Amino acid sequence: MIVTRSWLNEWIDISSISTDKLLKTLNSIGLEVDSIVTYKVPEKIVFGRVLECKKHPDADKLNICKVDIGSSTRQIVCGASNVRAGLDVVVATIGAVMPDGTLIKPVTLRGIESEGMICSAREIGLGDVSEGIIELDSSIGKYEIGQEVSQNAIFRDDVIEIELTANRGDCLSIRGVARDLSAAFDKPLRERKVQEDEDKRVGIGRILSLSHENNLDVNIRYKAVDFKNLTLPFIVKLRLSQVDDKKESDVESLMLYATHSSGVILRAYDYALFCVKDEPIAKISLSKDKNGFASIMSKDKKVSVVGVMQEESFKVAHSNGVVLIEATYIPPDIISKKMQENKIPTGLSYYRASRGSEPDLNQGLDYCISVIETNSESSVYGGTIEIDESHEDKIISLSKKEIDEIIGANIDKVKITKILKNLGFDTTKSSADSFVILVPRFRHDIVNKQDIVEEIVRLVGIDNIPSKPFTFTEANSFNDDYFNYKKRVTYRHKAAFSGFFESVHFVFDEKKILQEYGFETIVENKELLNPIVNTLDTLRTTLLCGLLRAASNNSKNGYASVKLFEVGSVFNSQREESLKMAFIFCGDKEAESLSNSGKPSKVDFALFAQKISNVIGEFELREYKTKHTLSHPYQCAEIFVANESVGEIFRLHPNVQESYDLDITYMCELDFNKLPCELKTAKQSSKYQASFRDLSIVMPKDMAYEKVKNIINASATKELIRFYIVDKYSDESLGENMSLSIRFVLQSFDKTLEEEEITNTMSTILEALKTDLGITIR
Amino acid sequence: MKHWYDAIKEAQSVEKIEEIRISLFGKKGVLAAEFAKMKEASDEEKSKIAQELNINKNALMNELVQRKIVLQTLELQEHMKADAIDVSMFSSSSESGALHPVMETMDRIVEYFSSMNFAVKTGTMVEDDFNNFEALNLPKYHPARDMQDTFYFKDEMLLRTHTSPVQIRTMMSNKPPIRMIAPGAVFRRDYDITHTPMFHQVEGLLVDKEGTVSFANLKFILEDFLKYMFGDVEVRFRPSFFPFTEPSAEVDISCVFCKGSGCRVCSRTGWLEVLGCGIVDPNVFEAVKYQNVSGYAFGLGVERFAMLIHQIGDLRSLFEGDIKLLEQFR
Repeated sequence: MIVTRSWLNEWIDISSISTDKLLKTLNSIGLEVDSIVTYKVPEKIVFGRVLECKKHPDADKLNICKVDIGSSTRQIVCGASNVRAGLDVVVATIGAVMPDGTLIKPVTLRGIESEGMICSAREIGLGDVSEGIIELDSSIGKYEIGQEVSQNAIFRDDVIEIELTANRGDCLSIRGVARDLSAAFDKPLRERKVQEDEDKRVGIGRILSLSHENNLDVNIRYKAVDFKNLTLPFIVKLRLSQVDDKKESDVESLMLYATHSSGVILRAYDYALFCVKDEPIAKISLSKDKNGFASIMSKDKKVSVVGVMQEESFKVAHSNGVVLIEATYIPPDIISKKMQENKIPTGLSYYRASRGSEPDLNQGLDYCISVIETNSESSVYGGTIEIDESHEDKIISLSKKEIDEIIGANIDKVKITKILKNLGFDTTKSSADSFVILVPRFRHDIVNKQDIVEEIVRLVGIDNIPSKPFTFTEANSFNDDYFNYKKRVTYRHKAAFSGFFESVHFVFDEKKILQEYGFETIVENKELLNPIVNTLDTLRTTLLCGLLRAASNNSKNGYASVKLFEVGSVFNSQREESLKMAFIFCGDKEAESLSNSGKPSKVDFALFAQKISNVIGEFELREYKTKHTLSHPYQCAEIFVANESVGEIFRLHPNVQESYDLDITYMCELDFNKLPCELKTAKQSSKYQASFRDLSIVMPKDMAYEKVKNIINASATKELIRFYIVDKYSDESLGENMSLSIRFVLQSFDKTLEEEEITNTMSTILEALKTDLGITIR
Repeated sequence: MKHWYDAIKEAQSVEKIEEIRISLFGKKGVLAAEFAKMKEASDEEKSKIAQELNINKNALMNELVQRKIVLQTLELQEHMKADAIDVSMFSSSSESGALHPVMETMDRIVEYFSSMNFAVKTGTMVEDDFNNFEALNLPKYHPARDMQDTFYFKDEMLLRTHTSPVQIRTMMSNKPPIRMIAPGAVFRRDYDITHTPMFHQVEGLLVDKEGTVSFANLKFILEDFLKYMFGDVEVRFRPSFFPFTEPSAEVDISCVFCKGSGCRVCSRTGWLEVLGCGIVDPNVFEAVKYQNVSGYAFGLGVERFAMLIHQIGDLRSLFEGDIKLLEQFR
């Protein structure tokens, strides 16, 4: 909503209020100021009058004018097509500096001297108002020839754009904003009374009749005007350009102007449109169209829809003859609901109607008629033809105690009454301890007690309400969600400390890509209906694709080592949400530095697995056949923590690696909810010395170590604390076999182990390996 | 004997000292020879020579040990000098990763409200119309639905446009009093320089007996919270409109970049909008069948907080896993 200071001043006297105060007030009462532009016409630009105007002898398009600029008369050459004698104009005199920086000095144009410039609106910085030079008229108020233009309020105006919230349809007009300001400044609105000289006028009933269906929930009112010599006043053109309303015919422009000023939805129709041959009275009918919208009909043609639009071809293009001016109101909830049920094309008026236009129709018609009467020789028909649907008054009662409790402060009763009255609420039925408030019809947004309190809060000013801590009964607020959040924080911290950068990606992904790599996708009947772009057309079922793209981008940006992780939601084919944690590590294992002579080695499976272990603790890897095709078929494992599968770890398939332009890459995805988060318990440790024994065994290269591990675990005595691989070796002499060195740690809780006991344990293990797997010592 | 004292003084290495020690105190050393000579001397002289030799022996030993300590210290000094490094070559070489600034900001927000005894509730991203709109006083034809362009699914479910449905679900399954925050990802169908289809919110809700929760309480906690997050800033409340609160307000802080004097970030206003809040609308309580209660609610965008706190210019870069950005938060 755009307002201007001078326009507001038509409805409320704000002449003594500074622009700064005005802006602050608008903000503090909830009419957020989005932007402000202050126009100021430069000095030495004055009002002038064209006394004479004749053609330039040597230039077709130029005119030589004698212009009265108050102190003297100057000869000015002017190229505008609309310059003529008798016109009051804006003159930039010698020495004026135009907004674009041009200095006005005496010049000779094709041999004729010119002392100054007759200006267009654009030239003095007012923008695109009209063609040619400004033609002044009485609409700008009193002015004198020779007076500085900048002294006139219209030419040094503030244009303020207000960001209105969706509930404040009542402020979609200059008058509406003025009404709010009237409560804020405690100043009355200016009354605009049109003097109706009804006796002398021909009644509208003599030329028009209106038929209608019942229960349309519409208020409608017509005036008829016989237009004659309408010239659109300068101020109307200027203000319409300031509020960005599109240019229309003169009559249409007037409707826009009066609507913007009063908030009443106004339309104009050619009278002839409704005339039937040989009948003295034109007929308008108001009926439901096939979608249930109240429509204005002429001879079975739909001319307009109340609160929605007017057919372009039925707008008034001329400025002479009889024109019907229509004001309408339809409650915003009714029109919005209808639109929700049946979407139909809308025009400018729908926005206003759906947010609540001004229901006081006379007030808009009067404003419109007064502009017409002042600026033309048109005659207005007496009275109106109307339909007034009755409506129920909204009454809200609440006590001062309720108001104070919601606000948390003691607000003066007199002040409350004054605020409500200035906003147009009727509080006269209130009793000593309770307010009984009649809500004005234009405030459709006010329906309950809290709405009333909001009005009081915003006009008292939130800054004037002292802050107060809430007193509560203590309660343990920890719950599962909190502990899960904590767990997430802990894991994220561990991942960051082990070298991974946390990344966040949209939960959207591209279905085609997911399918291509063999991931599950959401079933068709639960799929996104209105994705924003093709590449984000489904919900992700894995974190891996997002990480892969990010790694690829980083790698293109020159990062030789990329370590990323994400903890985020994924969805299964049934669109059930779960939390996953995923990692990617590609390229160099560390940054280039002195310690690696600028040649860091590449990440390998062992290093990546170690990094993952830094984050999630102890785990076991088992051979695994993954379902997707991102994975290298021979470097891929299922991760088990405490004998439960928690996810997978794998090297990226060389083909995928190539298509993403990546160096050697490893990835891991974990089911976050299965990751451990129990508090650790300390095991008792033995006081006796531990013994170490190394065993080098020869086993087939293609045998899984897991088998060896299982046999050792099954055959060992409890003195075997742990065992781990320390070397792997193969050469030609070993053929299809390889040698594996395993270190065994043995320890007893009761004593230092004797050599014999150790040997016995080791022999048992060896025996088992030989019997079960045919593995021997090297 | 005197030249031995000089020799010790002049010795320049631990090896040289060792040589001297052997020459003096070895089995065939000088002192041994001198003591041997005693055999030829008379008894009277013997004790005199012995006394003198013993004095010299002790004195030389003492000199030798002292000199050795000095030389050892000097040699260690030399060794260490040879190990000298140019420390300036080793400035910052962290191999650690970092938390994402948005997630880290969310953690800080959660930390504040947890300490103020708010419970954390998370909920799900896929929601239904009732919990996301209807129960929040946003019936189907409400103009405020224009403000939130929604992602829908083919089965009429939707992606939550705010974390408010978590509040509805919490109220539906718990009796008052309620003190909770709902942190999480939310979705709007909007993708340009200042909008991403996914972003993060933290919303808060406090519900207690009727007549106990006031706007003044809401002001208190939000002022305190914003000072915790942004440091010493001014806080301003502006009346506004949200369908689920009444009275509603938007909360601004004095611009953290220009300290309120007006700059590009705050559009020359000196203020930055950071929060929306209000007293819970009775229609919301009605939807969850709460009676005789009062409450306040608030909501904020985590990305906006993170961008202001860390002076991040580009919203979209937050969702690209861009190491250029992330490595600055080590």
